[in-house]
Amino acid sequence: MVRRVLSLATGRIALAVLTVIAVLALFGPLLAPQNPLATGDHPLAAASGAHWLGTDYLGRDVLSRLLDGSRVSVLGSLEVAFTALAIGAVPGILSVHLGRVFEWVTLRLADTLVALPFLLFAVAVIALLGNGLSQAMLVTGALVSPLFYRVARAATLAVARSPYVEAAIVSGASIGWVVRRHVWAKVLPPIAVALAQTVGVGFVIVSSLTFLGIGVQPPAPTWGGLLASDLGYLSHQPWAPLAPALLIMVTVWACNLLADAIRDVSGEAGRALVNTRKARANRRREADPAPAPAGGVR
Amino acid sequence: MTTTEAPAPPDVRVPATTARTRHTLGRVLATLARSVAIFVPVFLVATFVTFALRSLSGLSPARIQLGEEATPEAVARVEAHWGLNRPFLVQYADWFGGVLHGQLGASWTNGADISTLIGLGLGVSLSVATFALLIGVVAGFALGTVAALRRTTWADRAITGFVTVISVMPAFVVGIVLVAVFAVGLHLFPSAGYVPAEQGFGPWLAHITLPAVALSFDVVADVARQLRGSLIGAYRENYVTGAVVRGLSPRRIFFGHVLRNGLGPALATLGLKFPALVGASVVTEWIFGLQGFGRFANDSAQAGDVPAVQGVLVVSIVLVVAFNLLVNLVLARVTPTAQRGV
Repeated sequence: MVRRVLSLATGRIALAVLTVIAVLALFGPLLAPQNPLATGDHPLAAASGAHWLGTDYLGRDVLSRLLDGSRVSVLGSLEVAFTALAIGAVPGILSVHLGRVFEWVTLRLADTLVALPFLLFAVAVIALLGNGLSQAMLVTGALVSPLFYRVARAATLAVARSPYVEAAIVSGASIGWVVRRHVWAKVLPPIAVALAQTVGVGFVIVSSLTFLGIGVQPPAPTWGGLLASDLGYLSHQPWAPLAPALLIMVTVWACNLLADAIRDVSGEAGRALVNTRKARANRRREADPAPAPAGGVR
Repeated sequence: MTTTEAPAPPDVRVPATTARTRHTLGRVLATLARSVAIFVPVFLVATFVTFALRSLSGLSPARIQLGEEATPEAVARVEAHWGLNRPFLVQYADWFGGVLHGQLGASWTNGADISTLIGLGLGVSLSVATFALLIGVVAGFALGTVAALRRTTWADRAITGFVTVISVMPAFVVGIVLVAVFAVGLHLFPSAGYVPAEQGFGPWLAHITLPAVALSFDVVADVARQLRGSLIGAYRENYVTGAVVRGLSPRRIFFGHVLRNGLGPALATLGLKFPALVGASVVTEWIFGLQGFGRFANDSAQAGDVPAVQGVLVVSIVLVVAFNLLVNLVLARVTPTAQRGV
């Protein structure tokens, strides 16, 4: 799967961007050239050699604050995505197999969760249950989980009616075995697509919450918090929101791009797409011996 | 040109049409019934969860009114005044009965009626949200249709690129950019505040334009993408080939066949977008200094005013469900595929 995604240019771009973001999240606080909390003598300074992205209203180095704040955003969005995956995917698969009552209940539950405005709920939950981002992200993940439920259910429905699954059930295979052996492989690609999308959504939610100043104690830097503090000084520094805004947008864009790339290369159509691309590439460099098509063909 | 019915032999058409009308009516009723059947459990579960939030939060009006250093007796007295010493289920039943009558209780912070407070904010928020939806639908339909009709040309590529860019811009980023450019930079629009429509249509429109545009980007992107995809899909169907072979004009094919069949996913997206719009209003109203529904939600949540937060959540659920009902009805009316019962 990874190799197939890498065979697309868009997949390579998306993975490269996301790798950079991951590195920022892991080592950002170490890479920061200055203390992100240290106030300086030159508030609202323009970009210079000492401060690559200028300083904010307290004279703090913007680049350091950006780097230091990346971890919160990345962790939060991953938490949203994986909570949603954990809550949504398994009932989605089982809803096809475990009988009508379970199916009806989970379907109604998914309808319920979809109807709730999750940003509003996240705001409410953080405010009421204490100022922690992780509780809010758990709740948001639960509210986003119907996406995974639907995706997993649709893919399972498609495979459950196929002859080989019926044959397996007729020959006495247990539901667990069928799910592990047959369903899982078909459900994984759409779930991977949904996961990539959800990480993008999670970024927007984390940034929105930190923008409102919810979930993080004030001096700690976050991408959304940087934007919020820039808002008050727009007349002095109209370009200041550019860096955090671009960072958020590029990350979300990379997530969407990755989702599209996975969708393009998964399934039968995707296999054909990758193979024709490979064939064309091989034909093009007929001169040098092309490497044998390594992955993708089964 | 309007899409009038072709002059057909009436003796064949008439019974078919009446049957279709009856069928449509049944379909609309079935959609209504299904939506209500979904709505009731949604409402029960969601209100119960929102109500349980208070017990989980451990917040109390005593803390807000008396401060941290209140005596236990004073705390108990305040809690008894608010009826918090009763069993949980009794409180819930009491509150739920009030909700059914439109009474959301009194705010912990100032004792004001929450229904009134939310009603005040809703006017602002609904103005903005409606305007945003309007922009989203008009611009999204225009972009999606042009992209589908001119597919694989530069126009299609430009629109697809544009839509990709605006789809990754969160509402608050758009809001800040709009404020920086149009309010602070060019002084074309006021940067914050709200003027009710009674005090003049022009100022009202000027105040809600920027927030509405900020909210609408997401809707524009989703509607345009969905519409482009489904229109292109509809053009590949056999009935379009049949219509071409029968010699119908391209315009008639587009309005009579392609658009009606391709509209479904875009409309359904609109229904799904509404909760996100309500949620995003929390952020945009903060940026643009609007005292709306989202601002009220944020303020009361940060103040720990639990009844107000519960009220906000209940109202948002009702809004979302009502909007989805509307979308479903339109869907059942417009698209031929909806009768298959998706």
